Amino acid sequence: MSNATELVQKLSQLPICRGLTQGEAGVLFEIAEETTAPKDAKLFTEGDPGNTLLIILEGQVEVTKQGQSLAKVGQGSVLGEMSLLGAGGTRSATATALTDLKLLRVQAARFQKLVHDDNLAALKIVANLAQVMSRRLLMMDEKLIELLDEKSKKKQELADFQRILSDWSF
Amino acid sequence: MNTAEATTWYFKKAARIMDVGERIETLLLSPLREITLQVSIELDNGEIRTFPGYRVQHDNSRGPMKGGVRYHPALDIDEARGLASLMTWKTAVVNVPFGGAKGGIAVEPSRLSGKELERLTRKFVDQTQDILGPTRDVPGPDMNTNPQVMAWIMDQYSKYHGHSPAVVTGKPLDLYGSKGRDAATGRGLVFICKQILGDINLPLKGTRFAVQGFGNVGSRAVRLLHEEGAVLVAVADSNGGVKNPRGIDVPALFEHAKKNGGLQGFDGGSPCTGDEVLTADCDVLLPAAIGGTLTRANAAHVRAKIVLEGANGPCTPEADEIFEKKGVLVVPDILANAGGVTVSYFEWVQNLQHVTWEEERVNAELEKAMKDAYERVAQISRNRKLPLRTAAYCLAIGRVGKATVLRGI
Repeated sequence: MSNATELVQKLSQLPICRGLTQGEAGVLFEIAEETTAPKDAKLFTEGDPGNTLLIILEGQVEVTKQGQSLAKVGQGSVLGEMSLLGAGGTRSATATALTDLKLLRVQAARFQKLVHDDNLAALKIVANLAQVMSRRLLMMDEKLIELLDEKSKKKQELADFQRILSDWSF
Repeated sequence: MNTAEATTWYFKKAARIMDVGERIETLLLSPLREITLQVSIELDNGEIRTFPGYRVQHDNSRGPMKGGVRYHPALDIDEARGLASLMTWKTAVVNVPFGGAKGGIAVEPSRLSGKELERLTRKFVDQTQDILGPTRDVPGPDMNTNPQVMAWIMDQYSKYHGHSPAVVTGKPLDLYGSKGRDAATGRGLVFICKQILGDINLPLKGTRFAVQGFGNVGSRAVRLLHEEGAVLVAVADSNGGVKNPRGIDVPALFEHAKKNGGLQGFDGGSPCTGDEVLTADCDVLLPAAIGGTLTRANAAHVRAKIVLEGANGPCTPEADEIFEKKGVLVVPDILANAGGVTVSYFEWVQNLQHVTWEEERVNAELEKAMKDAYERVAQISRNRKLPLRTAAYCLAIGRVGKATVLRGI
């Protein structure tokens, strides 16, 4: 078992813990449980109910969707943060251990209880999550517009020309 | 602005009116292939001379590429490129199934002997035969090249590819040439003239016309218009000419030209220069000499109601604009003088089928092709309120564009 103080310190450096005091990070640590996973283990699979947050303490994880690799993440990265918001949804992607892993697991239900009790640490984390999410959403929007633009441009020039030719009824 | 540059200018004017977009403009304007050669021959005196040669193949979406081979010291790749594109639009306007090409050799042929010219022509074919052919690129006569040069081209090409009369047009009548090819451009002009006069309710008989240039095109047109009862009031070649408001005696004029090798000194009127012909008091002006003779400087003084472009590019774009403002009807080169390439197409068809058409058939088919082309251009001009030239370019862009899109980019 790792040194608890050290872990709390590491936790307070995570993006979702930004602005938390060491004491507030300790609150998150209290509801978390340390766990391990061997190489090649599936941490969760696309479509599973999403009810835990995973924090990678050691090792590497690959995130895939429909067989396509989306990202490789390592120490300090957080998986399944959406579940903390109580969306009650399912996993949007699959996470597979690329190496042996050390993880912190947080039960969403326990976190949501803290939110419900107006725990300052939990509320700060929710605010941080909202920021992370909105940044991601923005990036996705931009990517989407880029893709739509590219597609429509390619099709439009010939189609426009054909329309002009038929308008002029040559 | 030379004829090649003017062609691009007119093309862009039409393309912008159609709003086809910059990338489609580039697609349609860019040549398929252009080559530059060094054509070397041994002169009769043993000297070795090297001349630059060119062939630009502009577009083949509508068929094998078609265009003249000219021997002229001023020819360069830019000129060839512009004139190749002009051929693409011209063949499209008269709807013959050809694309456009142009080329030749930068040489002053009058300085070469017949034998030297033959060696030069054969060498040019040696260096281009792999890109020519009845289904690829079909050359024809142009400035300073004639049926004899076409015969050499056919012969040299046939050494590589077997008997191939359809590789070139404008051949001598005794060697797979077409009846009616000689007079085709002039005859085509007269068909167009009748059509446009009909549109403004004027009979050809009694119409007063002036002609600049008395070469193949000008002289044929003069003879045919005279036969139709039109009245020639001014005519000149590069050395001079004659004007007579009461009408020039055309048979006597031809006799004089035959005897003297030119129009200068003909006494059936007062002497006049080529420039004066352009501003003569007449109904129809036929510039049939060289390009760029009607400019910003003289266009305002033109008194004709109709300008029929017998030459390629006689009106500069500036002159064209002045005519548009003045209400002078300009029948553009790509329509007016397309009779030549139309009968070249008939020659190619006869060669491919190993048949010979009678002249009556050639002329009848030519009349139909010219009338159809004029009707389509006039219709676009009326419906879209565009000058005939812009309408003709729009029609050409439409036909080439359709073929390009259907075949796939």
